[in-house]
Amino acid sequence: MAVAAPGQLNLHESPTWGSRSVDCFQKLEQIGEGTYGQVFMAKEIETGEIVALKKIRMDNEKEGFPITAIREIKILKKLHHENVIQLKEIVTSPGPEKDEQGRPDGNKYKGGIYMVFEYMDHDLTGLADRPGMRFSVPQIKCYMRQLLTGLHYCHVNQVLHRDIKGSNLLIDNEGMLKLADFGLARSFSSDHNGNLTNRVITLWYRPPELLLGSTKYGPAVDMWSVGCIFAELLHGKPVFPGKDEPEQINKIFELCGAPDEANWPGVTKLPWYTNFKPNRPMKRRLREYFRHFDRHALELLERMLTLDPAQRISAKDALDAEYFWADPLPCDPKSLPKYEASHEFQTKKKRQQQRQHEEAAKRQKLQHPPPHSRLPPIQQSGQSHGQMRPGPNQPMHGSHSSVPAGPGHHYGKPRGPSAGGPNRYSQSGNPSGGYSHPNRASQGGGGGGYGNAPYPQQGRVPPYGSSGPRGSGASGYGAGAPNFQQGGPYGGSGTGRGSNMNRNQQQYGWQQ
Amino acid sequence: MLATIPSEDHVGGQQPETSAAEATTPRVLLILAAILERLVTRNDPLIEHNGRNNLIHYVSPRPLAAGELGMSLKVFNGVRAPNISIAKYLERLFKYTNCSPSCFVVGYVYIDRLVHKHPELLVISLNVHRLLLTSVMIASKMLDDVQYNNAFYAKVGGVSNSELNRLELELLFLLNFEVTVSSPIFQSYCWYLEKEDLRIGSTLKRVQQPLAFDIKDDVNGI
Repeated sequence: MAVAAPGQLNLHESPTWGSRSVDCFQKLEQIGEGTYGQVFMAKEIETGEIVALKKIRMDNEKEGFPITAIREIKILKKLHHENVIQLKEIVTSPGPEKDEQGRPDGNKYKGGIYMVFEYMDHDLTGLADRPGMRFSVPQIKCYMRQLLTGLHYCHVNQVLHRDIKGSNLLIDNEGMLKLADFGLARSFSSDHNGNLTNRVITLWYRPPELLLGSTKYGPAVDMWSVGCIFAELLHGKPVFPGKDEPEQINKIFELCGAPDEANWPGVTKLPWYTNFKPNRPMKRRLREYFRHFDRHALELLERMLTLDPAQRISAKDALDAEYFWADPLPCDPKSLPKYEASHEFQTKKKRQQQRQHEEAAKRQKLQHPPPHSRLPPIQQSGQSHGQMRPGPNQPMHGSHSSVPAGPGHHYGKPRGPSAGGPNRYSQSGNPSGGYSHPNRASQGGGGGGYGNAPYPQQGRVPPYGSSGPRGSGASGYGAGAPNFQQGGPYGGSGTGRGSNMNRNQQQYGWQQ
Repeated sequence: MLATIPSEDHVGGQQPETSAAEATTPRVLLILAAILERLVTRNDPLIEHNGRNNLIHYVSPRPLAAGELGMSLKVFNGVRAPNISIAKYLERLFKYTNCSPSCFVVGYVYIDRLVHKHPELLVISLNVHRLLLTSVMIASKMLDDVQYNNAFYAKVGGVSNSELNRLELELLFLLNFEVTVSSPIFQSYCWYLEKEDLRIGSTLKRVQQPLAFDIKDDVNGI
């Protein structure tokens, strides 16, 4: 079967992944929870190196190994750049090897696969949301340049990220910024005119061509997202916080003007153009709206937030923009201030517990005032209230080391709902329950959400479009039903592709 | 990613002697079947020779630790060889899973990578069906925007859902997650398949037609 000439197989010798056990690492604390499963900060026992362990959720038997995970792994395997998160290896957790009959247990690897990443202290959204945080101009330039450098590298390697947003840009205490979360990424080639799904990119960062239904797109989609992030950094808040697709496109038109054949040749032929065509003329008022920005910043932003993807600036050209070469110059990443590492996952959990304590305390106060009014109640069975220990080390529900408030961690963020249909927000699809919606952000609580309620700017985590750009993959796969990727790239809906399974499904008698 | 994709279109019924099923089966499947059939025929005696219990570790250079992922093809082995031919099996996969023909080429690339990476692992009649099922399924996950889930593939392929999940993981680890197939590599495999087709086809005195557009010819006689 020798087919490929030497060197053509793309095979390079690398340590075989999966050969090491997760026991080589000592889990320190959970720092996130997402569609994939939990994310832990861990220490490699042999070297003492701190890493992030992302557990791949394997509990959807029908789906098997998550597509997002396979795609992320295969893409990260070929990307090696200082501004792209490094996937160090894959480890497995040893499980029961055989079932009672001594046969291999099919569920043996359930939940037992981990991706090992380099550890990062923050992400851009979490950092920006720190109370009192203000980025300096050289700092913004420094982050933007790293973002563009990493993205340029991806694009040169023919990878579209397709989910650029603040929470996917990880930052370490050396000031390095790295692109993360390639679960939606895919390869493209310039000579490939295949159709790609337009249900990608978190709504607030989604470019107009996707909102108008384009299925032939390229690196320009990522550049729109970069423009949104750039504007957000300068402006201090998200610039297009739409709550659904129509509102999203309307917000874009209000700022960038409405597209027509003059400013965007071909736009009228896009599938949903007529649906979203504004009924009144809308002028581009980007310059007017952001007139307080410096000249070079505004110039660059103009070229990023260009409606026509063909005219939108590329990552390479953006790096050459005057902005990065004019005073004040981008600072050296190492010169950036170091921020105390913290994990919003925990911060939030702690805050939630505190709230529960307060509420419970209130209730208790009403019922039978405790001896010390500031004491939280203890829900320990068999203990009377009189036994509550006063003092600073009063037990909480599950003691926690103190975690400073601050930025969040987004190694494994909650993702969009399983796209089953419009407006279905994470009723069942997102196991972490942490998917946040601006309208709900103020409710706080609700499980492991990230980057929303705790901070004054609520609702920082944008909603996913009504169609759900990302099915979490955790549900929505009916038995024997096709895994239909169109609605949300990985979300299942039961339609499409005639189900042949009902007829003629004799199984061959050769399974063990 | 794949710039060149074997055409899915097919014109059936021009040659009265071909059955409807054959007329709608892309020729690439038949070529693949012939190649794998040949490989299995070559490998099977090696196994027989070595005794059934050693099946796959025929020339295994290193001892296999129990429970390690990606170390052996043993999990792909059935107790006995399925009584469906490789060609019919591929046809069945194609018919029910409706995945694009390029998935079969990419699935073959995976199997080829596998035997390159692990020369000690032999593709034999006991494992070739499961290998095909798993590799085509993974290829479909990589390539197709629309595809059936593992549960469906398991039904079509005649294995249990949990077994297929296990096989999927095994294969991914055996491949070290190298499941990217670039356009040039895909193209080179297509050329190889065409060349094989010529070689195989010459005995049938067939009129040569490009692989992608000719799926009518019957190579079952090989």
